[in-house]
Amino acid sequence: MEFWMIFSKLILLGYLVLRFIHVTDRNIPWIIFSLLLYLCINILYYIVKQDRMKRGILFLSLVQILASYYMVQSLFILLLPLNLCEIFPFQNKNRFMILILVFLPLLPLPNDLAFQYGLVAALSFIIYMMFMQFTARLQMQEAQLDVMRKNLQKVTRILNENNEFIRQSEYTFKLEERNRLAQVFHDKIGHTMTGALIQMEAAKRLIGSDQKKALELLQNAINISNMGIEQIRITLKNLKPPIEQIGINRMKLFIEEFSAKHSLSMPFIYKGDMERITPIQWKIIYENLTEALTNALKYSEATMISIKIHVLNTMIKVEVKDNGVGVQKVKKGIGLIGMEERTASINGKIIVDGTNGFSVTMLIPIQGTM
Amino acid sequence: MKVLEVKNLTKKFDGFIAVDNISLSINEGEIFGLLGPNGAGKSTTINLIAGLLRSSEGEIKILGKNNMKHSRYTKMNIGIVPQDLAIYEDLTAFENVKFFAGLYGLRGTELTDRVQEALEFVGLLDMQRAYPKNFSGGMKRRLNIACAIAHRPKLIIMDEPTVGIDPHSRNYILQSIHKLNEMGCTIIYTSHYMEEVEEICTRISIMDHGKVIAEGTKEQLIAIITNTKDIWIEVKSVEQIDIEKIKEINGVKTVSLDKNVIKINSEIGINNLNNILLYLMNQKVEIGSLEEREPNLETVFLTLTGRNLRD
Repeated sequence: MEFWMIFSKLILLGYLVLRFIHVTDRNIPWIIFSLLLYLCINILYYIVKQDRMKRGILFLSLVQILASYYMVQSLFILLLPLNLCEIFPFQNKNRFMILILVFLPLLPLPNDLAFQYGLVAALSFIIYMMFMQFTARLQMQEAQLDVMRKNLQKVTRILNENNEFIRQSEYTFKLEERNRLAQVFHDKIGHTMTGALIQMEAAKRLIGSDQKKALELLQNAINISNMGIEQIRITLKNLKPPIEQIGINRMKLFIEEFSAKHSLSMPFIYKGDMERITPIQWKIIYENLTEALTNALKYSEATMISIKIHVLNTMIKVEVKDNGVGVQKVKKGIGLIGMEERTASINGKIIVDGTNGFSVTMLIPIQGTM
Repeated sequence: MKVLEVKNLTKKFDGFIAVDNISLSINEGEIFGLLGPNGAGKSTTINLIAGLLRSSEGEIKILGKNNMKHSRYTKMNIGIVPQDLAIYEDLTAFENVKFFAGLYGLRGTELTDRVQEALEFVGLLDMQRAYPKNFSGGMKRRLNIACAIAHRPKLIIMDEPTVGIDPHSRNYILQSIHKLNEMGCTIIYTSHYMEEVEEICTRISIMDHGKVIAEGTKEQLIAIITNTKDIWIEVKSVEQIDIEKIKEINGVKTVSLDKNVIKINSEIGINNLNNILLYLMNQKVEIGSLEEREPNLETVFLTLTGRNLRD
C-alpha cells in the first residue's frame, strides 16, 4: 500500500517539475538540488523500517520543504500536505486534526498560491484517507484470516488425533483378535495336530513290523484330525458375531445408561429368537423406546420402568411399562403420534394403556410370515 | 363381494379416542368376530356401522354404499341385535316383532308371514301370544334376535348376544347364527367370550384400546404367538420309554420326562398323536391320561397385550 503514497508523491513531483519549466525567475541549480534532496529524503523514508527513524526522516522532509519554500521557490509548499498527513499514525480518530493541520499553512500564503495549495491539500487528504481506510480494511481481513487459519490448524490437529485414535483402536482390536486366535490355535488345534502327527510317526515306524497296530494308530490320527477340523470350524464360527448382538447389546447398554443416569430401576427381559429382528425394526424399536422412556420420565413419576422384547412366531412384541401414576384417558400428543407413524411404517401397531401405570406396547409383524 | 368395508374409522368422544383408525373388510358369507375386552371399542364400532353414531373420521360402506349418504338403503340391509335388550315388555312376542318389522316398511300379509317366520326361526312361535316379561333371559334374547331378522337383512350385527343367559339358550343362539349364515346372511359377532368366537367365527379381529391389533382365522391368530402345542401324557411307568424314539416322530420338537408325565412339544398342523400313541402301545406302556394343550385366543390376547380378555 505504500506504493499508493509513493505514486501520489511522484505525480505531485512531476507537476512541480512541469511548473518549474514555465517559471520565469530561474534558479535552476537550487531547484534541482531541492527536488533531489526531497526525493532522497522520501526514498529514505520508505527504506527505513524503524518507526522512530521514520518519524525523524519525515520531520526532516518537512523542514526541507519549508526551507525550500522560503529560500528557493514558493511552489515547494505544495509538497507539504502529503508529508503532513503521514506524520500522523493510522488512526481514524485523528481525521479532523489532520484536516486542520493540512489546511493550516493556507493562512500565510499569497492568494494565487493559496488556491493551488488548497487543491493539492484537499487531494492529498482524500488520497491519504483512502489509503488509510484500505489499509485498515486489509489489516482487519488479514487478522480474520489469521484466526481462521489458526482454527483450521486446530481442527486439523483434532482430526489427526482422532484418526490416529481410530487407527490405534483398530490395531489394538486386530491385535487382540490375533492374540485370541493364536491362543486358540496353540491351545487346541496345535495340540491336536501334534497328537495326530505323533500317532502317524509311530504308525510309519510300525508299518513294517506290526501292521495291525500301525492301522490302529492311523485310525487314531484320523480321529484326532477330524476333531481338529471341528475345532477350527467352531473357532471360526465364534469369530462372527450374531446379528442380534448388535441390536440387543446396544439396547442393553442404552437401558443401563438410562437407568444409571436417572436412577430408575429398569428390568429388561427378552425372549425368543432376537436374530429375527431386522436392523430397520431395531431402529424403530430403539426410537420408540427412547420416546416412551422420555415420556415416562416427564409424566409418570415412576420408580420402575420395565422393558420386554418378545419375539413370537410371526410377531415381535415390545412393551415399555412403568409403575407410575398412569392416566385414565390417554390423549395423543406429538410423541405418541410419532411412535404410531414410525410403527405403522413397518406395518406395526401401538397400544397405549394408562389404567395400571402406563404402558406402551408395540406389535410388529415379522417380515415374510404374515 | 364386500358386505362391509370400513376405512380408517375413528371416533372421538370429547378428546377420548374410542375407535382409533381401524379398517375392516368383510366378505359375503362370513361370520366375522370382534373380540376384545370391555371398553375395547367393539360396541362403538358397531354403532358406527349401524349408523347410530357419526364417525369423527373415516368411511363406512355397506354393500358398496356409504352408510351416511345412503342411510335408508344401508339400514334396510342391516339387522342389529343390541347388547341391551330392545323389546317392549307390554307387547306380546308377536307384536314386538311386528312392530320392528313394520318400521322397515313391511305391511299386510307379508308382514305377518315374516314375523311368524322369524319367531319360528328363534323357536318362539308357540309363545307368540305371551308377554316377554314372563320370559327367561334366553327367551328375551331370542325374541330380540327375531326382531332384528324379520326384514331379512343381508348383514346381521350381534353385539354380545349371549351375555347373562343359560347354556341351553346360548347353544340355541349359536346354532341359529350358523343357520342364518347358511341362509346367506353375513354376520358380525362381538363378544368377550373367547370360546364362542373360536367356535363360530370364520374370521376374527382382536380389538384393544380402540385398535385392531390382529386379524385372521383362529389358526392364523394362534400362529402369531407360536407354531407348537404341548401334549402331556401321563403313564404308569416310564422304564420302557425311549425319548429319542419319540423325538423321531414327525412334528415332535422336544420331549421331556417329568416324573411319570411325558411332556411333548409338537408342531401345530401335523397330526402325530396316533403315531405317538402307537409307539407307547408297542412299548406296552399303560396310559393314565392324555392332555393336549393348544394355545387359544385367550392366550393370544394375553401374550399380545399382557392383559386378560375378562377382568
